[in-house]
Parts: sequence; C-alpha cells; structure tokens
Amino acid sequence: MNRFYILISRVAVTLLFLWTLAGTGRALDSDALSRQAGELMAQGDLPGAVELLRQIPVPPKGADAGAFVASRMQMARIYVSLNEADKALAASREVLALFPDNSEARNAVAAIQKQQQSRWLSLLDDSRKFLPALLKGATMTLLLVLCTMLVSPLGGLLIALGRISTFRPLSAACWFVIWFFRGTPLLLQLFFIYYGLPAFGVTLPPLTAAVIGLGLNYSAYLGEIIRGAIQSIDQGQMEAAKAIGMTYGQAMRRVIIPQTYKRLMPPIGNEFIALIKDTALVSTIAMVELMRSADQLFNTYFNITALALAAAIYLLLTSIFTFIFEKIEYRAGIYEHR
Amino acid sequence: MNTAREPLIRLEGITKRFKNLTAVDRIDLDVFPGEKLVIIGPSGSGKSTLLRSINLLEEIDDGVIRFQGREVGYVTSHGRRHLDRPPAVCALRTEIGMVFQHFHLFPHMTVLGNVMEGPLIVRKMPLNEARQVATDMLSKVGLSDKRDVFPATLSGGQKQRVAIARALAMRPKLMLFDEPTSALDPELVGEVFDTIHTLADEGMTMIIVTHHMGFARELADRVIFMESGHFLAQGNPHEFFSVGQENERIRSFLNRLL
Repeated sequence: MNRFYILISRVAVTLLFLWTLAGTGRALDSDALSRQAGELMAQGDLPGAVELLRQIPVPPKGADAGAFVASRMQMARIYVSLNEADKALAASREVLALFPDNSEARNAVAAIQKQQQSRWLSLLDDSRKFLPALLKGATMTLLLVLCTMLVSPLGGLLIALGRISTFRPLSAACWFVIWFFRGTPLLLQLFFIYYGLPAFGVTLPPLTAAVIGLGLNYSAYLGEIIRGAIQSIDQGQMEAAKAIGMTYGQAMRRVIIPQTYKRLMPPIGNEFIALIKDTALVSTIAMVELMRSADQLFNTYFNITALALAAAIYLLLTSIFTFIFEKIEYRAGIYEHR
Repeated sequence: MNTAREPLIRLEGITKRFKNLTAVDRIDLDVFPGEKLVIIGPSGSGKSTLLRSINLLEEIDDGVIRFQGREVGYVTSHGRRHLDRPPAVCALRTEIGMVFQHFHLFPHMTVLGNVMEGPLIVRKMPLNEARQVATDMLSKVGLSDKRDVFPATLSGGQKQRVAIARALAMRPKLMLFDEPTSALDPELVGEVFDTIHTLADEGMTMIIVTHHMGFARELADRVIFMESGHFLAQGNPHEFFSVGQENERIRSFLNRLL
C-alpha cells in the first residue's frame, strides 16, 4: 500500500513539473529567454543556449527589436565558436534582412566570410610553401622516367632478339634475364644494386643505381612484349623480305620491327605509366624524387596538402604521357588508316 | 628451245622431308633461259615446296642446285651439309624473284616504297636511282598512279601486280610464281595473268605453280604434272592437254578442273 502511494505521488509530481515547464516555456518572454540562454552558456551548454535564443521571435514592425538583434548576434558568436560558419552567417543575415544597415551584423558577416576565405588562402599558402620542393622532386622523377624510357626499349629489343635467336646460349641467357628481373621485386633489385654491389667493390651514385635498376627491370618486361609483337607479324613478311635478297638483320630492321610499333604502343604505354609510379620506389635508395619530397614535407609540417599536391603532379605526368602515347600509336599505324 | 644451251637452273635429286612426309622426292629438273615452265598437280603434291627450295626458303635434305652451272646454296663442313653463309644465300635470292599466293607486300611502306626497297637496301642503289627503277617497274605493271598509296587500299589484283614489280625491281634472271592468282577474286585474275604474260613475252625465264589452266595453255613451253613429290608426266602443252592423255591420274585431275 505504502509503495503504491509513493508511485502515485511521483507520477503526479512529474506531471506537475512537466506542465509547469511547458507552461513557463510558452509564457517566457524574450528577456527571460536570453537570460536563461546566458545561464546555459555559463554552464557550457552552447547548443542548448542557441536553441533558446532561436525562440526569440522576429518582432512585429515598429516594435522594439533590441532583444531580437541581440539574440541573433549572440547565436552568430556561438556558431562561430562552434566552427559552423554557414550557420553563423545565416543568423547574422536574419538581422540584415530587417536592418540592412545594422553595422554589427555587417561586420560579423564580413569577418565570418574573411575567415572562410582564409581557409582556402591557407591551402594556397601551403601550396606556395611546398611546391618548390615538390617540383624539384618531380624534375628528378621526370629525369628518371625519361632515362628509363630511353634505355629500356633498347634493352628490351636486344633481349627480344636474343630470345628468338636460334643460337641456344644467347636465347638461354636472355630467358634467364627475363626470368630473374620479372621474378623478383623491383625494390629488392634496387636494394641489391645500391646497397649490395658495394660489397663486390662497385659503388654507384644513387641516380646511376636507380637508372640501372629501373632500366634492367623494364627491359625484361619490354623484352617479352617486343618478342610477342615480333612473333605476331605474319611469317610471310620475313619470307618476302628474304625473297628479295635481304639478310635477317635487314628484314628485321626494315620490314618486321617497323610493323610492330603500332602493336607495341598500347602495352608499352601501359608499362611506362607504371614506370612513372614505380620511380617512387627509388626514394628508398637515397634519391630525392617526388615521393620522397612529399614524404619529407608531410613529416615536417604534418600537412596532408603536400601529399595531395604530389598526387596531383603524378596524375599530371601520367596524363601527359598517356596523351603522347596515344598520338604515337595513331602515327605508328597511319598506314592502316589511309 | 635451244637445248644445247646451258640450263639457267638445274636441280639434281632434290629431296625435302617434313617429319614423316617426303614432300619432294629426288626431283631432277633443267630450266633453260627464256623457258616458261608450268607445274600443276593436286594440293600437297610438293609443287610449292619445290619452288621454295629453289630460292632456299626451304632447306632441302638432299640434292644439288646449280644456278648458271654453279653449285649454290649449300656447303659441307665437318661432314655435315648445311645452308651456305647468309651473303651467298642472299646473293642467289637477288637473282631469283618470287611472287607469293598471298602477295606479302610490306604494309607499312607505300607502293613505291615496296618496289624500291630491294634496289635501295639490298642493291644499295642511291635513292634517286632506286626510285627510278621502282617507277619504271610500276609503269610496267600499269600502277604508276598508285605509287604513293599504302597496300591496304589496293585490290587483290593490284597488290599482286605490285608484288611482281617488287620482284622485278631486283632484275632477276628467274621468276618463281607460287599460285599467283589463287587468292584473287575471279574477275581480278585477268589483270595479273596479263602482267605475267607481258613478262613472258619479254623473254623472262619463269616457273609457275598454278591451278589456273589458262597459264599452262597460253604461256607454257612445258607443263609438268606433280604428285606425291614426283613428276608424273611432262610435255609441251599441246601434247599435255591433247588426247595423248593416257595417264588416268592426270586425266581425272584435269577433268575436275576443266
């Protein structure tokens, strides 16, 4: 029995409390609202304060608007401190909608906008700060890419010709080179050439080691691509060349290999795009190229902008080369288009 | 035909085996300067293989090839017979032009480029001279207006005529035609046939492998019927196609074609 009364009284008190709250809430005037909001702010409940301030209504025309203006400006300040610039702007603009000349609201809008812009400005500032180092790194990346692009097709051609040679020791040697350089990680090859060769008395500067490593690796890949392209040319072409008295070398140089260019460009373009990104691996053998530069900046400033910029530069490089390769592919097959 | 003259090319016991098949079996053949020889026979009878053996595209297993009386193509060292050194092989091929069934024009070169390639690269002629030779050859086959296009734009008949011009540009002493009209649409056979006919009239020595009996009738000094690597019969076209056709195999072959 006793427990029942306690329960009833608790429910009653709660209901009474809620009714009171609702009644007072409806009844509160602007002064009370701002006062309560001030108390909530003092307790650190900023979102709660904003909710109360929002309830202060837009005054009818001609009435005193002081409380309204004060509430909206207070909201703007709270939003700014909450890092919600858009909402702060909206609150300030509510005032400007009624009083376009209100200087406090205008100043607030200007200040908030300036702060918003400064975010983009800081990005620009960061870029300006990072770009010189990144571009220097990119130059090194480009140098590596160009050197490898120069070396590896020649290496690949030699390996391909060796592979299809009827002289067994040569074709076996070329098979071995392909087997080895395609079968081990490029990173390991670079380590071996830069850190391992000194043990055999050969010390190479980083750039030389990097070009040798990338060059050998890509020669092996291109070797297989070129071999496939050569063997895909109709056997009759070789016979026709021989029939007019050409040597094997003349037939290869004048008849067979020129016909492989069009077929070679798509897979070689693919390899070279991969190469642009693979150059990032040489950052591990003391080369300061694009990836290394970005990494250094990121570790110094702990600013992700450096990495984003590096990504943009890599994309720019790959885009440019893709474009060039497509043009070359079209040119190489021009005799089929006419 | 003056049989007292030395043959341009003489084959003695030519034999070519593929794994378990003897494609050409101890063939003897003399071809005299200016002679037009047509070889017919069912497919797989060794006609093409014999033709390709003559310019060393096929390495024979046995026999001797003499060109203008000189033994060519093979040397023996350490008791083993093998193909001669590349310069000697290439030198023989420059004397012998070959036209293939499927043309095998160089698709990446213009028509003029195709024809001047031999003189320019093999004969090492100066550019102007090579171009002149090629221009002459193209006008000979009636394709001067096509000199600057790529082969892909030509008809089959035009391609084959360019191929003939390309072979002629090397000024060969002997021309080998390996089924030159077999890959052509019937209406294009005529122009290629006419081109070969013109060449024959100029006195070119030629060996033609074909299924086209028109060649045999109109061009040939001698027709050879080949089967299973052997020469079954030979004679001048009049004898060959006339009633003197006692051989059962040849009669049934010709009946199927005619």
